[in-house]
Amino acid sequence: MRRRLRKRIKPKKRELKLIEQYERRLIEALKEFRIPLLMLHTAITVGTLGYMFLSGGDFINSFYMTIITIGTIGFGEIVAGSDTLYGRVFTSFLALMGIGVFTTSVTVIVRVFFKEDIIKLYRAIRMLREIEELEGHYIICGYDKTSAWLATLLKKRKIEFVVIDSREEAMKFLQEHNIKYFLIEEPHKRSVLQSAGIKRARGMIVNLGDDAKNIAVIVTARLMRPSKEEFYIYSFASTDGTADKLEELGANRALVPNKLLATRLAAYIFHTGSAFISDLFDRIAFGEETDIDILELKVEPGSPLVGKKLKDIDLRRALKVTVIAIRKSDGYLDVTVTGETTVEEGDTLIIFGQPKNLRKAQKILLEETHRVLEGER
Amino acid sequence: MRYKKIITDFFILMALTTNISFITSPNSYELVVTVAANLAATILKVGEGRVLSTEMLASSLVADLHLIPALFLYHMGDPQEAIGLAQGALAANVISVIISIIETIISAFTEEEE
Repeated sequence: MRRRLRKRIKPKKRELKLIEQYERRLIEALKEFRIPLLMLHTAITVGTLGYMFLSGGDFINSFYMTIITIGTIGFGEIVAGSDTLYGRVFTSFLALMGIGVFTTSVTVIVRVFFKEDIIKLYRAIRMLREIEELEGHYIICGYDKTSAWLATLLKKRKIEFVVIDSREEAMKFLQEHNIKYFLIEEPHKRSVLQSAGIKRARGMIVNLGDDAKNIAVIVTARLMRPSKEEFYIYSFASTDGTADKLEELGANRALVPNKLLATRLAAYIFHTGSAFISDLFDRIAFGEETDIDILELKVEPGSPLVGKKLKDIDLRRALKVTVIAIRKSDGYLDVTVTGETTVEEGDTLIIFGQPKNLRKAQKILLEETHRVLEGER
Repeated sequence: MRYKKIITDFFILMALTTNISFITSPNSYELVVTVAANLAATILKVGEGRVLSTEMLASSLVADLHLIPALFLYHMGDPQEAIGLAQGALAANVISVIISIIETIISAFTEEEE
């Protein structure tokens, strides 16, 4: 009865983690060393014991004699008793058996070492362990020229990322481009995304060059990280219609590369008279301008900014950043802010300034909000 | 019947028994056989990816690292030190046998579950 019950409630077999799969592959590869090593070990033991019997227990010379015999060095009959009739018969048999065993074993060991790519497996395991330590990183699925540019930009901003690509040939480019973390695996598999640290990641970029593959990855990722506010998924799509579908399926934003490029070029054409400022905003928007940046700061309930006028806050003097616009909670964008403009709960301040000052402002204002809320409690 | 397990268990036990016999009556041949049995057991444990495989391989490596120096010390004229090292190896071999028994029990339960 108990057995039947246990059978009925038998849990579903857990899918192995990628690191466990690699470890198993490494163990399987190591197993192939056993037979050649055992053969070599047997030959050395038989030889050593044989010479020990002949010499009356001289271990060190017997061991040495065995090694030089099976290793085809053959310096001579060093051990006492090896120059006798019995000794020569034994040496002949040991040489016949041992030389074959020695060469075969060494060949097999070298072949296994290179065929199974033990070093590659070991490196992959080490990399997976390092990935387990990452937090707030990004996952890039698919590595092509666009992903390579993206990787360069992320590196510039010191943002950690993990690349996943199923193509073996991608490995060459990943190593050439000095990509620290990468997995040569199918990105739509749960175990692969899990190993890339999806649970701790901030976002994901899906660029697999095929809408169907992109959908598979987005759906799997969204099932693992359902919240669109906590985990951002950006994807490429071939058409506007596909982009909409990808966004419905879980992507925060799906971009059509050709359209994006055309829009950017059109912006240059439309603003030929004000090329500098248009280019500046463009570069800020695309993260190319590292001296100046724009930050959106939401005014949460309890923030010390609520009800204050911009001239009273004076962020420009206090934190060296400027409020250039305010997005109201209903979506209206107020671009005519003055010192008299009052900040309301739910507003989003669009702040302009140097990246370090923006970060400082964000930190101070968030801390201040937190302190006010704590005080109220 | 699993022949691989028979061979592995044979060498694990052989390593223990020869180790004991060397300690009780120290002898040059006995020590060589002990080292050979221990090394064979270590090689057989490489790549055994089961529950306590790491512990088993570690205990076997400990025994090897005691017995190989003991072999050279014994033939270089310090048999007392060699026996001391062999006693250390004995402890590792006993642990190895215990782990092997636990491993067998766990495997039996796992097989029953499957």
